[in-house]
Amino acid sequence: MNILLIFLGKFITKFSRSLNLGHGSTWPGHIALNSNKNFIKDILKNSKIKIILIAGTNGKTTTSKLLQSILEEDQKKVILNESGANLLNGIASALILNTNIFGKIKKDFAIFETDENTLPQVLKELTPDVLVLLNLFRDQLDRYGEVNTIASKWKLAIDKLPKKTTLILNANDPTIVYLGKEKKTLYFGLNEKSNLTHAQDWADSVFCPRCNSKLEFEKIYFSHIGIWQCQGCGLKTPDIDLKETYSPLLGTYNKLNTLAAVLAAKTLGVNLALINKALKNFNPAFGRQEEVKIDGKKIKIYLSKNPTGFNESLRTVSSGKSILLVLNDRIPDGTDVSWIWDVDFENSIKNFNSIVVSGDRTYDLALRLRYASSKKIEVEKDLQKAIKKALKNTSEKQTLYILPTYSAMLETRKILTGKKIL
Amino acid sequence: MKLTIGWLYPQLMSTYGDKGNIIVLKKRCEWRGIEVEVLNLDVDSPIENLKKCDLLFMGGAQDRQQKIVSTDLKKKSKILRSMIENNVPGLYICGAYQFLGKYYKEANETVIKGLGIFDLYTQNPGENVKRLIGNVAIESDFGTLIGFENHGGRTYLGKNINPLGKVLKGFGNNGKDKTEGAIYKNSFGSYFHGPILPKNPKLADYLIKLALEKKYDKKINLSPINNSIEQRAREVIAKRMGVAI
Repeated sequence: MNILLIFLGKFITKFSRSLNLGHGSTWPGHIALNSNKNFIKDILKNSKIKIILIAGTNGKTTTSKLLQSILEEDQKKVILNESGANLLNGIASALILNTNIFGKIKKDFAIFETDENTLPQVLKELTPDVLVLLNLFRDQLDRYGEVNTIASKWKLAIDKLPKKTTLILNANDPTIVYLGKEKKTLYFGLNEKSNLTHAQDWADSVFCPRCNSKLEFEKIYFSHIGIWQCQGCGLKTPDIDLKETYSPLLGTYNKLNTLAAVLAAKTLGVNLALINKALKNFNPAFGRQEEVKIDGKKIKIYLSKNPTGFNESLRTVSSGKSILLVLNDRIPDGTDVSWIWDVDFENSIKNFNSIVVSGDRTYDLALRLRYASSKKIEVEKDLQKAIKKALKNTSEKQTLYILPTYSAMLETRKILTGKKIL
Repeated sequence: MKLTIGWLYPQLMSTYGDKGNIIVLKKRCEWRGIEVEVLNLDVDSPIENLKKCDLLFMGGAQDRQQKIVSTDLKKKSKILRSMIENNVPGLYICGAYQFLGKYYKEANETVIKGLGIFDLYTQNPGENVKRLIGNVAIESDFGTLIGFENHGGRTYLGKNINPLGKVLKGFGNNGKDKTEGAIYKNSFGSYFHGPILPKNPKLADYLIKLALEKKYDKKINLSPINNSIEQRAREVIAKRMGVAI
């Protein structure tokens, strides 16, 4: 039965790819799971493959890609689910593509980035060797619900995990740290100097996840990520196992992603020399600080899909002079655009000389910026025209920074490269 | 002229871009030369600060945070009640709106007592019943109001309170009776996120006018502001919903 599903899955993938239909990364898994709901369990039953799950609001794709590069540098064969295909069907599809017709997986590692809502379901289907939890920020409340709801569902699922699983947790995020109590856990995190002195006023987790008392922050890197301690029950930033690394990407948040990937790689037995070699040669995932060149002008795309992501993107590109912001409100972006009012445009937008806004919700974004600064902005609903305008405002030596939401990022890439990704 | 705006629990009751409402109130005053002070009324803030306010705002929150707030709010409920009864204008969104009602009944029949200032109650049918999520438009005294709603609780109004408007598209208070929000004296409750004020500048200006008229005890005419971007942003959503504005 499963052999048939694998065969069918491979056929569908090939078929949809050759016709450029897209969705090849979820269909096969979708069909397999519909026919056999234990499909993932069955396939993995007799396999020695080691599984790494990566979850969190921001940084899943980048961390997965970093870890993949490191493991491949170590001559290991790695399976990855495609970015965005991070529900059960995406994981099943990745397995189908990498299983031979005898139902055997000939790979060493599987890295699966996992959607926040799906993580508890995935943990029912498979037991990871390593579970990396990056962070929890407010994101697409219409789809994910509230941060605390997700955290309590994660806690229930994680408490049931067997001893085999090593947890790799962000020591700087209180909600994440609380999940690691009484488990085999390693912590990555920052403990360097910080410029911020207090949590941003919309920060999600400034209250203790255990006793609800207010948290005291000694250092804050962004949002609620920092060195913290609870005034009530004493829960605090744990001893950090890894806090220094070379980071191939810009931004504090990417340093955390890199720390997570490196700590996972170390846990899986890769030596430091190989890790550093892989990091030096790293190419970013699409849309994550990806660089494109058009007419001699450099364009960098920074996927920015929630307040924390947007703030950190704006901070990282603040040396740039020309930006294009693109806001869509389709299902993958979240249909509620209220979050743009939680982005700290007041302090960042003044650093730019040319600002163009576009996307399905162009005017919402324009309205937000009107209230943030008296700076002139250009409003262009048509994305292709908006990119042209923004490029015109960018001189040869400058870089144009594009900050799009998820579906806007795919559209932007499609326009820039002429290629369809999903 | 000067207004003191009180933001109740900015750290705890601030989800879904609630901060946008404060930004809009402040800027629309400043653009007209009205001085503004925003007082952050967090847990343990002195009651004197609350008393100083000419206009109040409180937003929604996650369940865990609402529990922390409810303990602190009990200490301030007497003052808050007398301010609302005395026509101090205010805007209360989602969780805050529910708080002002008589009670909030969870799916397991647990009843959480509210402040009982608004004649309404809220029932949450539980996780197995769909939340009311999506773009929403209502007809009101301030024209068509446009926003986004996302709530599990269903609110039912009593006899002594009026709705903010009639639902044109979306769910409103409970998805059944076509009412949305509530008006009691100069206080407004609503489920509208979006946030509510940026795309509904008439309502924002009305709150400012009410606050100034009460404080200075005279008729106030606010100078007009160009709302063309607001209008474009409203049109995009209204068109999608098939609502005239």
